[in-house]
Amino acid sequence: MTGVHDLGGSSGAGPIDKSQHETEDWERLADAVTVALDKKGLKTTDEHRRAIESLDPERYKKLGYYERWIAATELLLVEKGILTREEIDEKAAELEENWR
Amino acid sequence: MTPTRFEPGDHVRVRPDEKPGHVRTPGYVRGKNGRIERILGTFKNPESLAYGGSGLPESPLYKVGFRQTDLWHEYTGPPNDTLYIDLYEHWLEPARKETV
Amino acid sequence: MSEAHHDLEGHDHEGVKPSAEAGRHAARIRAIEVLLVEKGVLTEEDVRRQIEYMEARSPANGAKLVARAWVDPGFKARLLSDTKAAALELGIDASGPVEFVTVENTPEVHNLIVCTLCSCYPRAILGRPPDWYKSFNYRSRAVNEPRAAMREFGLEMGDDVEVAVHDSSADVRYLVLPMRPPGTEGMSEEELAGLVTRDCLIGVSVPRFEAVRTG
Repeated sequence: MTGVHDLGGSSGAGPIDKSQHETEDWERLADAVTVALDKKGLKTTDEHRRAIESLDPERYKKLGYYERWIAATELLLVEKGILTREEIDEKAAELEENWR
Repeated sequence: MTPTRFEPGDHVRVRPDEKPGHVRTPGYVRGKNGRIERILGTFKNPESLAYGGSGLPESPLYKVGFRQTDLWHEYTGPPNDTLYIDLYEHWLEPARKETV
Repeated sequence: MSEAHHDLEGHDHEGVKPSAEAGRHAARIRAIEVLLVEKGVLTEEDVRRQIEYMEARSPANGAKLVARAWVDPGFKARLLSDTKAAALELGIDASGPVEFVTVENTPEVHNLIVCTLCSCYPRAILGRPPDWYKSFNYRSRAVNEPRAAMREFGLEMGDDVEVAVHDSSADVRYLVLPMRPPGTEGMSEEELAGLVTRDCLIGVSVPRFEAVRTG
């Protein structure tokens, strides 16, 4: 058995949803931050993929595309000691509070 | 340029291994017989890059072609439909004559 | 051994669009950006430049490449042998670590692109992939039932045409060079480019002349 991301030929696949959602600003930001870190040499595309593949399978299936990217970027930043989970928690809570 | 083990036209078998960790060889081609279509160049090894490694030595990457009917028993399309996928050299071995 | 590695049965989410908890993730990426800037790991300028880089890329780039290849056999040969260099000739900068390969549709072979393991796509040329390209169902079905997948996009391939699927699993990103439709002999390069949609560059569609005539 390979990982949850290894989808080629999965059984039970259904019709392809061809609808398109408008890319949201936070998705653009997730894309840009992830790639900017790669371009600075702070992480690689392969680490990013490995981090996404390490998500719990149920979570992998539940999250949207850029939500998986954010989870992976966060995981790698913490793993590399660039940021801590606690400071991200704290800052995210602060930002959410300000939006209310 | 790293010398390559295979040439275009060579019959190869994808290793059937269940390798833990990050790999770029999907489950559906493992253990299957195909043919080298072209040599794409040499690239850093993603299985090392994914864990912060150097990815060195670089590995030859091949475009490998398969008959769809060799990949999926229940394939319903015509017998000359094909699938091409890019595989690193260490995932390939020479195909045994009787299996070609 | 079954070829089916995973079961998507009863899975109604495509794994692409923002989920119910998107707001929380949006807050986390903003928090990450703020912290990275505070610590001097990234600058706001780095992030802004990267957003602009992606916004500047779109399927129109692919359409330009195709239209030029249709009118200029020399360019077509260069596009097929070295896509990155050919793109640069038209001012499309796809520099970076990944390689690009253009595969040509012919009366005998129709090409279809997918990435089953993630969603690799020629982003440096075409921009972000469409949602359906990233969907679990496309990633799953494009390899084992490509004809049925194409049929859902209205593309029916005859049994005399070989369907060649390309799973971009490694360091190469693929683009399809579709066939020039009949009846377009008098058209300008710009008009020809107008026939080439994003879906044609992935292989779930082909350029059609009527599409323009009827607007």
